[in-house]
Amino acid sequence: MSLRMEEIERYSRQIILKEVGGKGQEKLLASRVLIVGAGGLGSPASMYLAAAGVGTIGLIDGDIVDLTNLQRQIVHSTGDIGTPKVRSAAEKLRAINPAVQVHTYEERVTAGNILDIIKDYDFVIDGTDNFPAKFLINDACYFAGKPFSHAGILRFDGQLFTVLPGRSACYRCLFGGPPPANAVPSCAQAGVLGGVAGVIGSLQATETLKYLLGVGELLTDRMLVFDALGMHFREVGFRRNRRCPLCGEKPTITELRDEEQPVCDWRGTQV
Amino acid sequence: MNKTTYRIHETVVEDTHAFPREVAKFLAGEASPVAFRAVRVPMGIYEQRKSGTYMVRIRLAGGVCLPHQAKRVAELAEEFGNGIVHITTRQDMQLHDVLVQSTPVVLERLLEVGLSPRGGGGNTTRNVTACLLAGVCPDEAFDVTPYAITLTEHLLANRANFNLPRKFKTAFSGCGKDCALCSVADLGFFAHTREGVQGFSVYAGGGLGAHSALGIEIEKFIPAPAIFEVTEAVKRLFDQHGDRVNRHQARLRFVVERMGPDEFRRLYRQELAQVRREGISVPEIRVGENGAAPAGSMSADEPDDPGYRLWQARHVFPQKQAGLCAVRIPLSLGDIRARELSALAELAVVVGDGALRATQDQDLYLRGVPGASLYELYRALRESDERLIAIPSIRSVVCAGASTCKLGLCLSRGLAQAVEAELRGLDAAFDEPIRINGCPNSCGRHPIAPIGLQGGAVRTNGRLVPVYSIMVGGRAAEGNAALARFVAKVPAKAVPALLREFWIATATNRQDGETLDNLIDRWGADYLRTLAAKYAHVPSYEEAPEFYRDFGCDEDFSLAGRGPGECGAGVMDVIALDIDEAKTALAQNALYDAVVMTTRALLITRGLEPKKDREIFAAFSEHFITSRWVGPRAQLVLDAALDLRLGDRNTLEDLRDDIHALLSRVEELFRSLDSNLQFRVKPVELPAVQESAHSLRVAQELDLRGVVCPMNFVRAKIQLEQIETGQVLDVLLDDGEPVRNVPASLAQQGQEVLSVAREGGHFRVRVRKVE
Repeated sequence: MSLRMEEIERYSRQIILKEVGGKGQEKLLASRVLIVGAGGLGSPASMYLAAAGVGTIGLIDGDIVDLTNLQRQIVHSTGDIGTPKVRSAAEKLRAINPAVQVHTYEERVTAGNILDIIKDYDFVIDGTDNFPAKFLINDACYFAGKPFSHAGILRFDGQLFTVLPGRSACYRCLFGGPPPANAVPSCAQAGVLGGVAGVIGSLQATETLKYLLGVGELLTDRMLVFDALGMHFREVGFRRNRRCPLCGEKPTITELRDEEQPVCDWRGTQV
Repeated sequence: MNKTTYRIHETVVEDTHAFPREVAKFLAGEASPVAFRAVRVPMGIYEQRKSGTYMVRIRLAGGVCLPHQAKRVAELAEEFGNGIVHITTRQDMQLHDVLVQSTPVVLERLLEVGLSPRGGGGNTTRNVTACLLAGVCPDEAFDVTPYAITLTEHLLANRANFNLPRKFKTAFSGCGKDCALCSVADLGFFAHTREGVQGFSVYAGGGLGAHSALGIEIEKFIPAPAIFEVTEAVKRLFDQHGDRVNRHQARLRFVVERMGPDEFRRLYRQELAQVRREGISVPEIRVGENGAAPAGSMSADEPDDPGYRLWQARHVFPQKQAGLCAVRIPLSLGDIRARELSALAELAVVVGDGALRATQDQDLYLRGVPGASLYELYRALRESDERLIAIPSIRSVVCAGASTCKLGLCLSRGLAQAVEAELRGLDAAFDEPIRINGCPNSCGRHPIAPIGLQGGAVRTNGRLVPVYSIMVGGRAAEGNAALARFVAKVPAKAVPALLREFWIATATNRQDGETLDNLIDRWGADYLRTLAAKYAHVPSYEEAPEFYRDFGCDEDFSLAGRGPGECGAGVMDVIALDIDEAKTALAQNALYDAVVMTTRALLITRGLEPKKDREIFAAFSEHFITSRWVGPRAQLVLDAALDLRLGDRNTLEDLRDDIHALLSRVEELFRSLDSNLQFRVKPVELPAVQESAHSLRVAQELDLRGVVCPMNFVRAKIQLEQIETGQVLDVLLDDGEPVRNVPASLAQQGQEVLSVAREGGHFRVRVRKVE
């Protein structure tokens, strides 16, 4: 496979980079990334990946675009209200870069469908807004051996890290399982600034590109924590947990299951 | 109870307080890993094999550790480490798996209890060691502990002692039996009393490693306070004559070797005279009390408990102070969990003399225990952790090995565990430990042991196999020390079974009063050679892949990525082996084999271990021919070797001289390897004629006239990616911005710009693809 002149021009500003070059661009064009959640995190992530020429992008989300989404979910426009998010997002991505193959899955991830979907992808981006989905993605990626980028945002804060299953600490190494119901912020406490989603989603896209290109140091075994109010980035180092119920020495989780959602209506603050 | 240990000098406090800034600079990316290492290692902090995790080596002068210090180390192990405190073969305590960002607080909290890892690593005066029974041993001339402590203080006070040509190890033995291993220290002091005067005989230039040496005697007797002058003189000699360029030959023993013992002694006398002229302040020697627990602090009833009797026979040693005992706490692999260490610290106060001692055998000792308190101590230990009263079939002293040590070759700790498991249940034939080392660098100090194992690698059936060399006959003793001799090499996986047979043989053959040393002498090396021969066979990979894996490792054994360092000697061994085999093959006219071994030898320095011949040739071509470490005719040799496999016999015969030349060049490159596995010789200059335009194979021409920046650069770059490394591309560029930018950008990204020539209104830029 070699690059066409139009492609060389389109991607020239990254082909210039020693770490990318034509070879790297070809890698990106041959890569497949699944984005779970076409919301606040999925918006910037999917747009940057499409722009960068990631050949195949999968989008999975079961929701419909709502007026309250538009404050932060920049892949959707006012005219999209009422249409399924994956369809709205796919249109935008194709408009940015027609060469990108966009596959859409108009459903939510469940223990029943996730393995079948992620098996076709090289990397997964977790852009979901709830703990059960995050644990499900973590577990599925571990069983399927798929690297993924975890992220979460709330109010003025965001966090992310990358997981190479079996090689670096996973989400459960840190948190074990979903927090008890009373530890989860109530709806009234949980707002979010749109720009925070943009920062963290863009970092996920950057991390994905690094992984696909095989350059730099991945955000593994450390979590990047963003505090927009203080405008600080902080790094928290950790390591694999021997007692991790998933990837530890004596795993207790040996198959996928859907965790219970521990809060009344988390959806009001979906990212 | 008035136990003392070293006092922290103000300079150490200052350096410790300055350290957080260095860590911050490193974390912020302002200091390179190399620059940070230069600060971190002399602070006793080493990076472990898993990047991002660190080991902190805390010095304990003479192995003395006070209870509150032990508790603090235990706390830090729990809070910042892996919950385990490791005792080293030079009486330090180590914390493992510490994150770099935690190191400043660890140092600070150690300082609070008067401990520091300063000088725990790097080219510094390392921990000053003393006999494990110093102060209580019935055989000693006098207690050397105060001297180890005071000399430590003296050395720590001088910052110059952290920038020597290489590390500098000092030891004190209480008598000629040399339990502190002065025979193989850079500077060793043996205690003697002469006409009522306490003093020392002094040995210098000993050391263990890939090239071990015994120290030479430099003083027959000096009065005790002279140790400071003598140390200063030897250190100055080292500072002046130590090789700061080649760290593999930097230790004091190489200075002795280069100048010969007589010249060394002469220069030492000169230095000593100079030091005496200048005068040196002799610090006051602080003698701590050898206290004991308050009598009757524990009950004296001793029921008939067979476990207790066994323990007492094995781990309790009568002190020279009547009625008091020293008690060994045996530690498997030198490891103790934080909780148990805290418990021992308590016991040291309640039943002991108020201090713990870490020993060269990687154990801990409680001392000053009244005989009447032994049973209570036994019960307290048993309740704390059964392992603290273990009666091991075999004791082992083990280096850290390749699991954490960046220099290690074999997983020595894994072997030690396998040996322990294999021998479990057998009666202990001897109390002497078996010394296991993962590489030739001898942290496990096998060269002075009656029997020791040294890790290495051999190539069998085209694959690497972890092996151990069996070494026997080593001995430390004043004036009568001996280095162990190599007997045989056996695959790592055969060692436990071999030792089992050996252990049973020693148990059944040993005569009354015979030491392990004597027994092996009596048997002679032939017995071990015959025994080893039984276990030397390496089955094929298909038959038994486990032989190609190290203990506790599911992957095939590999040396790729091993640092050179000192243990890199192991990597060097493997390269040397290939070169030797290539020479033999060449001599026997096995040309094809010679080519394979020649081209394979150096690939490991590039982190490559291809198995198939075709892959070896390809890797060699990529990493050595195109980058011109060897001349271009090497490619002809490789092509001919491949042809030979296709049935063309003649061409390789015709290239015999080229094969010889290639082998010589490979050997030259090998000898020039520096500590970063880089070659110190220059790449091959291509003959000028080849550089001329006529003979250059210009792969392609790319006309970029009319293409603006940076698209012209992007397209040139893409075109270069299409051609082979070493090939040449001509690029036509416009005058002005393009010709100013594009060649410079190509060079910046590692390509070689051969020429930039004007051709009318444009330029022809000739580029050779390097990357």
